[in-house]
Amino acid sequence: MKKILSFVLLILVSSMILGGMTNPAQAQTDPYILLKIAKHAQKQLENQINQDSSDKIKQLFKDGAQQIKALEESLKNNEIDLAKQHFLSAMRIFKEVSQQLSINQSSPAEIATLKATAEDPSADLLRMQNYVDNLKIIAKKYNTSVNFSDIDNLFVTAKKQIIDRQFDDALQTISKIKQITVDFNNKIREYASQQEQSRAKEYAQKYLEQLDRLIENAKNKGLSEDIIQKLETARENLSSATNPHEIIKQVREIISIKEQFELTKNDRLESRVMQIEKILFTLSNSDKLSQSDLEDAKKTLQTIKHHLSQGEFETANELLRSLATLLEQFQD
Amino acid sequence: MNLELVPAYREESIREDGMLFVRTDGILETMVKAPLILAGLIIVAVVIPLQTSFSSTRTLELVIYSDGSTHISTQIDVDPLEPDFELDLFGKSIDNFVAVGDAGFLLSEEIVEDKAIIDTLGSSSIVIDYDIHDLISKEGRVWTFSFDSPSDYTLLMPKNSVIVGISGLPNNMEIVDEQTKLDLTSGLSEINYIFGAPINPTTHKPTILDESLFNYVNVVVIVGIVVAAVIGGGVLMLKRKQQKSLSSIIQTESVSEKQIETKSIDTETIFSFRPEMRDDDKEIVKFISNNGGQALESELRKKFLQPRTTMWRAVKRLERLGVIEIDKKDLQNLVKLKKDLEEEK
Repeated sequence: MKKILSFVLLILVSSMILGGMTNPAQAQTDPYILLKIAKHAQKQLENQINQDSSDKIKQLFKDGAQQIKALEESLKNNEIDLAKQHFLSAMRIFKEVSQQLSINQSSPAEIATLKATAEDPSADLLRMQNYVDNLKIIAKKYNTSVNFSDIDNLFVTAKKQIIDRQFDDALQTISKIKQITVDFNNKIREYASQQEQSRAKEYAQKYLEQLDRLIENAKNKGLSEDIIQKLETARENLSSATNPHEIIKQVREIISIKEQFELTKNDRLESRVMQIEKILFTLSNSDKLSQSDLEDAKKTLQTIKHHLSQGEFETANELLRSLATLLEQFQD
Repeated sequence: MNLELVPAYREESIREDGMLFVRTDGILETMVKAPLILAGLIIVAVVIPLQTSFSSTRTLELVIYSDGSTHISTQIDVDPLEPDFELDLFGKSIDNFVAVGDAGFLLSEEIVEDKAIIDTLGSSSIVIDYDIHDLISKEGRVWTFSFDSPSDYTLLMPKNSVIVGISGLPNNMEIVDEQTKLDLTSGLSEINYIFGAPINPTTHKPTILDESLFNYVNVVVIVGIVVAAVIGGGVLMLKRKQQKSLSSIIQTESVSEKQIETKSIDTETIFSFRPEMRDDDKEIVKFISNNGGQALESELRKKFLQPRTTMWRAVKRLERLGVIEIDKKDLQNLVKLKKDLEEEK
């Protein structure tokens, strides 16, 4: 018996330690990437250093190049830790070289390039394009009547203006795009708010179900009448709430009562039940799960809920795990 | 009743020494309540996966724009029992915030300073997109990206940018559409970059890799010659048979070449109508075209080794361009090339 116990303990502890070690093991750097980055930086800086560059810059660059040679050597010898150190040193030096170059070199050509970058609204346009693309997906989801053709034309115009280096005109076009986007955003949110109402009610209904189980469990365990009364009042308030903000407020109120009387220990199981219900709903609309399997899963879920209401959390947890594992197979 | 766990040694030692000492060889049975520990460990082991299931970042992707702003895109698992979710933003200068819940529903949010309260209302997974202006500073020509990440993430650098300083070690680096994409680990990272000449990945092969490759090539060539000599005789013997089958092979090849040509014409047409399409998206289109005009999103993920959200975004981009349409097949996304591209143009 002692040996069995020790063995089980050993397995549990080992599995926990090994489980914790998995992530760092996955996150290992490919050392050749480091060489690639460092050499790329070296090449760029090499092009920028000229005869007029200060001795300090030239010396720093030499030091950086030396570190890259050492990095290559380390990689040849498979000394990965040393290679990492050389990489970081090289990059630290190249950063300083860049800063020094930035201070010392401000040739008219470079200043002109920087000015052009500052004036060029390409990034602003790209940001708006990505935002509008996101809105398009959502608008489609809600079957809105929002027409994006005008704004699409404005994007084309702005792109052309940027290519022709008419940055002021492009900025004006982007400004128009932003105005239209604000209107679109408001319209889409109106559509979304209508559906949010029904989603909120659906959520409240699910929450009420789990609250009923909590109240039943509280009664079974003989909790004080005062606590049960508070939960029942909160239940009434939630069931009469209609708009999303009111529903959220009432649920927060219930959470506060649960925390006050330490009734939150089965919340994680209830969260899992909600997740499983969603998976079942999705699977019920597919042919992946046979009708009889689906019915069995639903029955198991009811059994789990019953166990939760009776305070039999361990049994509920075990059943939840088995059901989740089973459904995961069908999901993939 | 478990008789083996009765603390027999303790009684014995009291009798022998007359004092309350515990013998070390009986410590497990006397001091440690093994069943209690076992039960405790089982509970911990059982509860740990549940605890990590909720409110965790599944993906985090950052894109740096050329003007120093950053786009953040993240997918977070949230507790479906909670009515809302408080998200820590990575700064206070936020633009273009969009939060989407299960099934693509737009979620309401309230942003206060660097926090966003999102009304999740039972969603178990949310996707958040926003632009932020707080992560990058500039001194002279050197731009500095500074970010303390709660999880591993990907970072897409702007076009023509060159990394000249980095505080940590990236896990991976690849070139996507002429942009450097880094895989970075959680924690504080600082990356310094400047804008320089366009990146040409083919010119930056590490020399050490070339040398090791050279050694491999030598070995492969020698082995190849030996193998070729051995099978040479066999080849000669089978020559007649091959001559017969060769004609049919040539025919088959010419047919498949024609098919590929037809498909490539299709993709070229698509690309000519959509010149703005990204290079990596073009590869996806080519793959779908060669796959008979349709492919499951999971197949695309496997083929291009992309995470779920990255591929989802690529597919959505192509959908927005009107190049593909998405159907459902056995709960999976079936991505199909559209046939009426010209009409949509």
